[in-house]
Amino acid sequence: MPEIDPTDHEIAALGPKIKDVDDPDEIEAMLDLEASGEDRTAVVTLLEDRLEKLTAADEAVDPTAVDLSEMTVADVANLVRDVDDADVLRESLERERAGEDRKTAKSRIESRIESIEGSGEEDGDGPAYVPPEEKYPKLDHPTSEKRWVEGTVGGTYRDMWVYCETQRGELIDVSREMLGKARRMMDQYNGEATDEADDEAPTQDYGGDEDGAPEEVVAVLIGDGVGELADEAIAYGADRVVYHEDERLGRFRHQPYTEIFCHMCRDSAFAFRDYHEPRYTLFPATHNGRDLSALVQGELDSGLASDCSGLYIEDAMISNPAKTGQAGDSKEFERILHMKRPDFSGFEYSTILCIDKPHRDFHPQGGSVIPGSFAVPDPDPEREGEVVEHDMQLDESWFSVAVTEYDQLDDGVDLTGHEVVVAMGRGIGDDPTRGIELGLDLVDAFEDAAFGLSRGVITSSYSFDGHVEQYVGEDRQIGESGQVVEPDVYVAAGISGAIQHKVGMDESDTIVAVNTDPEADIREFSDYFVEGDLFEVLPRLTEALESGELATVMQEVSDD
Amino acid sequence: MHTVVLTKGVPDFREGQVSFDEDGHLERGKTPTVMNPNDKHALRAALQTKVRNGGTVSLLSMGPPGYREVLQEGMADVYADDLYLLSDREMGAADTWATAMTVATGIEKLDAEPDLIFAGFKTADGETGHTGPQTAWCLEMPTITHVVALDIDEDEGSLRAKRLVEGDVSEIETVETDLPAFVVADPEFEPTYRKAAHRLRWKDLREATQERAENLDLDEDVTVWDHEDLNLDPDYIGLDGSPTIVAGVDPIPKAPAEREATLVDGVDDEAGMERVFDELDAYAAGD
Repeated sequence: MPEIDPTDHEIAALGPKIKDVDDPDEIEAMLDLEASGEDRTAVVTLLEDRLEKLTAADEAVDPTAVDLSEMTVADVANLVRDVDDADVLRESLERERAGEDRKTAKSRIESRIESIEGSGEEDGDGPAYVPPEEKYPKLDHPTSEKRWVEGTVGGTYRDMWVYCETQRGELIDVSREMLGKARRMMDQYNGEATDEADDEAPTQDYGGDEDGAPEEVVAVLIGDGVGELADEAIAYGADRVVYHEDERLGRFRHQPYTEIFCHMCRDSAFAFRDYHEPRYTLFPATHNGRDLSALVQGELDSGLASDCSGLYIEDAMISNPAKTGQAGDSKEFERILHMKRPDFSGFEYSTILCIDKPHRDFHPQGGSVIPGSFAVPDPDPEREGEVVEHDMQLDESWFSVAVTEYDQLDDGVDLTGHEVVVAMGRGIGDDPTRGIELGLDLVDAFEDAAFGLSRGVITSSYSFDGHVEQYVGEDRQIGESGQVVEPDVYVAAGISGAIQHKVGMDESDTIVAVNTDPEADIREFSDYFVEGDLFEVLPRLTEALESGELATVMQEVSDD
Repeated sequence: MHTVVLTKGVPDFREGQVSFDEDGHLERGKTPTVMNPNDKHALRAALQTKVRNGGTVSLLSMGPPGYREVLQEGMADVYADDLYLLSDREMGAADTWATAMTVATGIEKLDAEPDLIFAGFKTADGETGHTGPQTAWCLEMPTITHVVALDIDEDEGSLRAKRLVEGDVSEIETVETDLPAFVVADPEFEPTYRKAAHRLRWKDLREATQERAENLDLDEDVTVWDHEDLNLDPDYIGLDGSPTIVAGVDPIPKAPAEREATLVDGVDDEAGMERVFDELDAYAAGD
């Protein structure tokens, strides 16, 4: 008889219990009991997973002998996490170099080596605290007492709080996308993920918080009548919903929304919130969601990354002295939210981390998420969760900005559904106004064409003459953070072809690129690559389309 | 009416200006610095205020000494009366929160308390859109973001603005608040000059502005404050005071080759151009 009879327990209670069972026979016996008893699919899966883990650990994977080239990067990461001998790791690193030589696999092994050796000399206390008066005697102190410095050190943090934005009484799509992503990350974090990790970068399995208890996804709803949406938030992945309703909150307002969110997660007396602040927060990267993220994280004296398109949690090896407290030593920080985002006008991806420094906590670790970055999960109406209403006196002075009117706008420029799209990139730089004019002329020469832009044109500091200015705006952007088009013909003029642009147009039937640079990336996904100056090529095509013949145009030119 | 405009220098991302190393990383040293394009909209909002409501405009930035030229560039767009630069090695590599705390301290040090502060939406390098709202939060000022149109009523000491809201649908809101207030101009911001007197004044100011900007003495005419002037502890500003760090920068991966492009060797490649034309001709307008 096993010590635990699974049929006596709910699945939620069973998860943490079987984590302590290390004997595969014991698990097998439990499986038998379940099979002859309630035979719940979820419980069987749970037990089988545990069994697999135990037997896999048994068969083990001798790190000195295993063939790394047979393993995925995630498996390599899991393998090296359990190795404490730096020499064994160095040897693995050599084998990876000689074999697959994967950059990500190497960096996992290297950071593990660093983690073992870097932590060797640590005394655990970090650098001693030096009062600012001693450290900077020239200043009239202290900055630490400014009202915007919170001053928490060594606080307790748990859970992932997700701000669910609403519009017209409904969750907006990105709210559902974030709940799904948060659910997935926290399942992996808690060691409760039921399927194989197919994520680009899975979250590390911590088996729950520091005491092994699972951490939750907490959905936050603020507005007029938002309590009705609580069940939906649970169906999309929340364990718990905290909501605040007030008729004055029908439209987003910066101050009351910020005050309420911060009170919910820092000051409220909810029984479940036995911690100082959330460990993680997520917000949508919409106009209002991004503003709220900045204000909440500021009020909580912490940091955030905006407009993220990738998220995962794992340990991070940091050598930055601002975080470790001393130059030279690397230090491992646990449970760090890695936030990946395109920046520098789309030229680079950065990974942003929000990390405590000695004598000043920077929690929650927060970020905003680009709408559409993650899939909307299938809602599970059977999912259970707790709903709590937040109570707080709202100060009248917080409503000093009054919304007197509001209207829905037309959807703006719709570049989809046209036969042809003409898009302009930074190749217009020599004469930006003329470049836009030539693009518009070409658009006019088609029966049904739309005019689009690459992100580079919008973020560059070109100055345009008044008459073309209205055609330059984010509403015409094609790509990852703009519109996705798939016309019959796509003309890309002066566009180099960054991957963010590519995702917005590569389903087009025929792609014609015009570029002076024969090495431009766009050549790799074009059907025709005209190596030439758009200032020459576009007028020729326009004239040809207008006259119905190309040859005459060419003739005229050569007669000049 | 005292108006403050916040601005920042960013790499010039225009083709031919921006420079990348072999690994595809931006080379800051080889890329010239220009005023953040979105800040032009904040300048236009400030100029509109100056033309229609009068008063003084202070232009303020945080960054290396070279940003004085960015301030000069800004001055040519809006008739700024004073230029301020918060500059100090200790302020370097600040994230948005450390920047907001520093800028807010700089604004508090100004002689005249501002009635209005303007900022642009997002810089072209960091692209967060956080610094404006966070600075407003530090200063405990009412905040209005994504503003596309603005009216100030000086007698009432209030402002009315239109702002854009996006989500599953786009909306436009009219909002009102009392001064002082913090306004983040949207890239769609449109200044309005309804009266003929305004348009005349705009012209006069523009001429005077450009003349003053041209003759600016960057050393004399820009007030520079370091962390000691602001009484800010270096542990709370710059990289040391920043909650976030950049852990890694990856060049955007190259798109895998999917199509075999037919090469057309310039406009004079008749056969090549003919093939392109054949693809397009079926979609031509008319007949």
